[in-house]
Amino acid sequence: MTIDDLIQQSGEWLKGTGPDSDVVISSRIRLARNLSRFPFMTMATPEVRGEIQAFVRRRLEEALGARRVQYFPFAKLSPIDRQLLFERHLVSREHANGEGERGVAISPDETVSIMVNEEDHLRLQVLRSGLQLEQSYQQIDQIDTDLEQHLTYAYHSRFGYLTCCPTNVGTGLRISVMLHLPAAVLTKQIEKVLGTLARLNYTVRGLYGEGTSPIGDLFQISNQVTLGKSERDIITELKNVIPKVIEFERVWRHKLADDEPRKVEDRVWRAYGLLKHARVISSEETIEQLSYLRLGVYLGIIPQVPMTILNDLFIFTQPSHLQKIQGKVLEAVDRDVVRAEFIRKRLAAL
Amino acid sequence: MICGKCSKNHATVHVTEVVNGVKKEAHLCEECARAAGGKFTFSITDILANLIEPPKAGGKTVEATAPRCPECGISYTQFKEKARLGCPNDYEVFKAGLLPLLEKVHGSTQHAGKTPHTVESVIRKETELVRLKRDLDSVVKTEDFEKAAELRDRIRTLETELNKGKP
Repeated sequence: MTIDDLIQQSGEWLKGTGPDSDVVISSRIRLARNLSRFPFMTMATPEVRGEIQAFVRRRLEEALGARRVQYFPFAKLSPIDRQLLFERHLVSREHANGEGERGVAISPDETVSIMVNEEDHLRLQVLRSGLQLEQSYQQIDQIDTDLEQHLTYAYHSRFGYLTCCPTNVGTGLRISVMLHLPAAVLTKQIEKVLGTLARLNYTVRGLYGEGTSPIGDLFQISNQVTLGKSERDIITELKNVIPKVIEFERVWRHKLADDEPRKVEDRVWRAYGLLKHARVISSEETIEQLSYLRLGVYLGIIPQVPMTILNDLFIFTQPSHLQKIQGKVLEAVDRDVVRAEFIRKRLAAL
Repeated sequence: MICGKCSKNHATVHVTEVVNGVKKEAHLCEECARAAGGKFTFSITDILANLIEPPKAGGKTVEATAPRCPECGISYTQFKEKARLGCPNDYEVFKAGLLPLLEKVHGSTQHAGKTPHTVESVIRKETELVRLKRDLDSVVKTEDFEKAAELRDRIRTLETELNKGKP
């Protein structure tokens, strides 16, 4: 597997086949881990960073084998390739843009990625389509347990798994569920949802756009507390909360369609028309219009567009993906033209 | 009150923002407030740095008495500034300062989750014990006495096992 191969496929989470995928785009579970015999990244010299990477890479290959993951040292990747990994949600933005020796191990189906030398020595991640908290946790827990036979984690009987930032200490577990909430946004119910979640100690942030005006109606809900609760507690709590948000969104989608059918239909068809015929389109506009199209598919207004196509358009229209497809570096203005063309072709083929 | 940004003008705009359950205040003059464009977003580092106060330790602050970490060499002040630790050993060295911080951020200072298999089984049992006792507290509150009895049995068994190992 090479980075170029990623362009030929879409990861498991993009198949749109997981449970509740009409509202939940993906479930991600992350474990932060550090090695006991090295300083944290904040105090690691370039030599030590190199040593950590070489050590972890060796142990990853021993513990998991080449069949389960493949390691990519960032020193050998172009900036576009690193950005591509970020666009596919396989590494964090910080990891993609950071300096110094670092890398990532990825499973062939893209459900597993293990960042090495991010804020912590290891950041294990499992990413799956729809709401799959149990499966995702079992998968990551198994990998963590397998790895643990081959290296010694920094662990403290009182504080649990030790992390560079005290906000991650304990379980090192961060669950993030990505939700599509167009009806909650259109009906201005979103503030209520976000406020409730914040009171329950969850972090909610828009996936795209600045602060209070997220675009594309995509939101990420994550747990904040990592210490004092077991992994099971954290998962169970989210498993109780997320279905309520899903139900809320579904109810408002139908209410919207019942109360203002013309308005909803118009918005959906406009989005479809725009995406189908535009000659120049930005990332932001694409994300925004895709959101309405997705809503239209759910409500049966435009039944002919499959979810997988929507997900593909969502991922492959990002800057690095477009450049990889074209096989060359493109300026933003040229990308907007290539993006419009890509979307037109995909939608025309239906 | 003087503006927290330019430290020159009188602060007339007072902003309170709650991020992740942590209150953060800013006092700015009108000019600086306008320059900020009505947006007051504090980074997690800001918030944490604000929370990490030098707690009193026998009349002197931890900052004054705490040595640098002998392993990685960072001082408590450096930790305070960056809100990031330098090595695993810092959790012991800066424990006094960390405990109130963890309590504020997580509402707890005791791990109740997974334990590496490499860690001795004793520690695993102790962690399990803490969790069972906490579970017991909550089922007692909900008056689920059947579950409480079951938990009590498991606690007793674990305690006996743990005591056996002791000299």
